Amino acid sequence: MGSQLTNNSILCRQSLSSGSDFKNQTDLLKPGYGVALAHHGELLQGVFAGDDGRLKRVLVSIPCGIFKSEVRFTPNGSDVVEVEPKWKVKSCRAAELTLSSLGKHKCGGKVLIHSSIPVGWGLGSSTSDVTATIRATADALNERLSPYKIATLAVRAETACDATMFGEQMVLFAQREGIVVEDFRSSLPRLEVLGFNTNSNGNGIDTIAFAPAHYSWWEIEAFRPMVGLLRRAVYLRSAQLLGQVASASAAINQQYLPTPHFHELKEISAQVGAVGLQVAHTGTIAGLLFDPDDPSKDDRIEQTQTLLATLGIKHMWVFQTGVNVSHTKKAANGNEN
Amino acid sequence: MVMRINKIAPTVVESVVLPKLIRLDSNLYGAAFFLMKLLPARFILDRARDAGLLHEGSVIIETTSGTFGLALAMLCKLRNYKLILVSDPAIDAPLQRRLEDLGTTVEIVREPSPTGGFQQARLDRMAEVQAAHPGHFWPAQYSNPHNPGSYAPFAELLTEAIGKIDCLVGTVGSGGSMCGTSLYLRLLFPHLRVIGVDTHGSVIFGQPDQKRTLRGLGNSLMPPNVDHSAFDEIHWVDAAAGLTATRVLHKKHALYMGPTSGTAYLVAQWWARRNPDATVVVVLPDEGYRYQDTVYDDAWLHQQNLWLDNLPESPVRTDHPLEARSEWTCMDWNRHTYEQVMGAPFSVVKNDEPVAGIR
Repeated sequence: MGSQLTNNSILCRQSLSSGSDFKNQTDLLKPGYGVALAHHGELLQGVFAGDDGRLKRVLVSIPCGIFKSEVRFTPNGSDVVEVEPKWKVKSCRAAELTLSSLGKHKCGGKVLIHSSIPVGWGLGSSTSDVTATIRATADALNERLSPYKIATLAVRAETACDATMFGEQMVLFAQREGIVVEDFRSSLPRLEVLGFNTNSNGNGIDTIAFAPAHYSWWEIEAFRPMVGLLRRAVYLRSAQLLGQVASASAAINQQYLPTPHFHELKEISAQVGAVGLQVAHTGTIAGLLFDPDDPSKDDRIEQTQTLLATLGIKHMWVFQTGVNVSHTKKAANGNEN
Repeated sequence: MVMRINKIAPTVVESVVLPKLIRLDSNLYGAAFFLMKLLPARFILDRARDAGLLHEGSVIIETTSGTFGLALAMLCKLRNYKLILVSDPAIDAPLQRRLEDLGTTVEIVREPSPTGGFQQARLDRMAEVQAAHPGHFWPAQYSNPHNPGSYAPFAELLTEAIGKIDCLVGTVGSGGSMCGTSLYLRLLFPHLRVIGVDTHGSVIFGQPDQKRTLRGLGNSLMPPNVDHSAFDEIHWVDAAAGLTATRVLHKKHALYMGPTSGTAYLVAQWWARRNPDATVVVVLPDEGYRYQDTVYDDAWLHQQNLWLDNLPESPVRTDHPLEARSEWTCMDWNRHTYEQVMGAPFSVVKNDEPVAGIR
């Protein structure tokens, strides 16, 4: 009787599988498109206890619309996934995981990545590629995945990932589990960021190989009032309070990954009246934060640029957070219309 | 976590460990604790458990007869630890009954030591009890860094509910609440003004050791957990002013709190009125029920000559702790060390309280 059941179930699986394979062929005729923004380091990175009371490594990313990764997934009838450029193997794995999670185990195709995100600066180039790949692959199957689902796939594809897939939605994200520890139920409040690379001649940081910070018990506790202030900042939409959280998190991180010129940057921040200083906790970029509603913001930024130049920092960029960004194809290709 | 929802507390500790935040004036918020010492007691026991120093049935030994002892007693009951507190005849009877109800063994030292009085006698007895219980754990609130370190959840509540805080006011006894909370808050607000409230005859901020009428704050020894450089400003409040302020806190705001709360409130309401643009938080460490027959009894206050018809308007200013007058006095401490202010390190070593951390 046992063997009969087994046979039945095998038959069952075969018929289902051939049926879905047939479906695959039709679904996959469509090329998929996906885009993901870079992030500009973090507002906060540390350790926080989730609802289960267990400590988790967490971060709050700063989305940055001036760098992005765009991916086209073209099904080619084969059963293997190829990626271009070839060294972006995490994206290859991400496409495979997406296909199998959507029940398309034997489908292949070509992942073509076009990214403007510099690698190793802490802009999250890898997670952006992976996120855009997952979106493109799902798009090929006419599926739209939630950021929660994308995070689960991304963390499987690359061990640890940032919160890029959440876009402007502000979350306290456990980067090694791919789960949301706290959803602030809001977009990131508006901030104007003057960004720059503190070590443009360096080779960058290998985020995954970088040993996770070994925080002291005091530092672990210190993240609590920082998260508390983050909640307040979101509630009040306060650039000022966000800046204070970013500065505190950057200060703690100096023991684990010192930011070049950190002391001078803090002085400049105070001198020009920036609301805070944020860093990439596993990268070399940093940003001075300004209140977009501050009438003398432009003067402050100009003064900051002059002062940063005296530190040898030449390449700078300015962007705002809290501006609605869509991940749909239409928005991404908006300039074509 | 996707949304916040009201939850049932697993024990009474979780339900009362954090204070209620109450607006007392346009720029003044009171943090009213049920029993503030639950925070350090819980954190000290948590860290000791995580370090493998505590197991079910472990023996905990401490010499305190104050609210720290009560907090330990509550936690030890709930966690199945055996608590032995060494105290002296000054312990109040209702507290002793409460401790014993929680299963705590209260050892009362009956005779003062020929040298060092009751404090020495308590220490001597604690040493004997500790020797009889190898493997015991000593919380050592005056020197254990997990005492000041325990105040992060309080700081989290403040930043979440209030946001930017400009000034923190509270009494100083072990150094835990004020030094601990301000260290966390200053990560975010480096300019936070920290005002420590002490009383005459306490050695913490440089006064000569004397009998203190106002209890629950100050110390006759120097707790290693006091980081003097945390403080911008120090006040010494006399008993009459502190107790009157405790009654005002009740009469004006319906807050039935203990004398340390009233004493801190006296300083906080004065400072907040003079700095209307600053956001001020005052720490109110415990409730008033233990003081029903004293602070809240007019006859007792008259009898003790501690009755004041009105709250003093403002403190007397001084430039040096040794010149502080017997009434409410304040001084800019400017985040100095004890030695910077007094010209020499603290030297009257009273071998009373624990100096070592965890055993």
